[in-house]
Amino acid sequence: MQPELVDALFIDDAHRFTITEIVHITGLAAADVTVLVECGAIAPQDPGAAAWTFPAGSVDVARRARALRDEFALDDVHAVAIIVRFEQRMRTLEREIATLRARLG
Amino acid sequence: MKYKDYYATLGVARDADEAAIKSAYRKLARKYHPDVSTEKNAEERFKEVSEAYETLRDAEKRAAYDELGTHAQGQDFRPPPDWGSAFGAGAPGGAGGEGFDDIDLADLFAGFGRARGARAANAPIPGRDYEAAVRIPFEAAYHGTELELDLGGASIDDEGRVRRVSRPVKLRIPRGVVDGQRLRVPGKGGEGLRGGPAGDLYLDIRVDDHPLYRVDGTDIHVDLPLAPWEAALGATVKLPTPAGSVELKVPAGARAGQKLRLKGRGIARASGNGDLYAVVTIVMPTVIDERARELYAELAKASTFDPRPQFGGS
Repeated sequence: MQPELVDALFIDDAHRFTITEIVHITGLAAADVTVLVECGAIAPQDPGAAAWTFPAGSVDVARRARALRDEFALDDVHAVAIIVRFEQRMRTLEREIATLRARLG
Repeated sequence: MKYKDYYATLGVARDADEAAIKSAYRKLARKYHPDVSTEKNAEERFKEVSEAYETLRDAEKRAAYDELGTHAQGQDFRPPPDWGSAFGAGAPGGAGGEGFDDIDLADLFAGFGRARGARAANAPIPGRDYEAAVRIPFEAAYHGTELELDLGGASIDDEGRVRRVSRPVKLRIPRGVVDGQRLRVPGKGGEGLRGGPAGDLYLDIRVDDHPLYRVDGTDIHVDLPLAPWEAALGATVKLPTPAGSVELKVPAGARAGQKLRLKGRGIARASGNGDLYAVVTIVMPTVIDERARELYAELAKASTFDPRPQFGGS
């Protein structure tokens, strides 16, 4: 029997995630998510709001932090957040290089 | 099933304490993690050490693993009778213990933790999210495509029994994905327990390079080679695009590096397609016959064009 055909969806950038949702999706603790905010790895939509919400991209960053923590058996979430910041900078530079290569031919 | 010596994989003694196991794993993770390793077979080795650590770091899983006894690496074996029931994991396969041959050692421990939680709380447990890396050709990314994945692996029933199942899934990849993009497939992650919802499947998309097209955001760049006379006089040339060839009118006086924009023929987006840019390059013939040489000489004599004004006179 042929498997059912299902759609892979673009991640909706308009959706906002609460800390509770990020905790549920990623397995990080709420305190870990706060550390990611403090280190600048993710940013809430409105830092002054009573209850923070985050864009979809933050879930990917938090997921990556969890993976790094587990895969390298790191204890310090602060250190993990710093690594994530370096990775973000690296990805930005890689995209800039790809753009320049495309333009220069 | 085949026995895996997790202690040997991590290079620790069977009575190693938690700290020693963690330290050994950290060293091996630094050595074999695919993001930082240059070792041959790094990904495969990392999976092995991760699997070993996943079992030995958890006190209950480690105790259950030790109860399996000691065997030679790769040796065929079966768990002792009633193994696992003491840990709430249930029996592998069916009640008669059938189906060992197609179960991986790691599958035996897949039910731990989740089965404990379910027993304790009797609450629905949502399934885990899965991640898969998918590589597709440029054309498939541009036009959209369908592909099949097998998400098979260990499946835990409500009694915590482990079975290895095949889970083929057919996915429709939308058009316009770019390299590094992430897509979500709702409900195609791990099964939930006790009526909990299934997790989602996340796809990390990698797009192969194309010999002609270069992607810049949602724009596409393609080199447009022109003969010197085509650049000078203008020409109508056939230009390939991902959506099919077009006839492109090149204006007279085209210069190397100049970009001719084809609006809306880049990567598709709901918010508006990117553009396609034909980037002019001037190509000289490799063989110049006598007649062409005469014509070039005539042009050189008649023209006052200075290609090197910055050199201050030739």
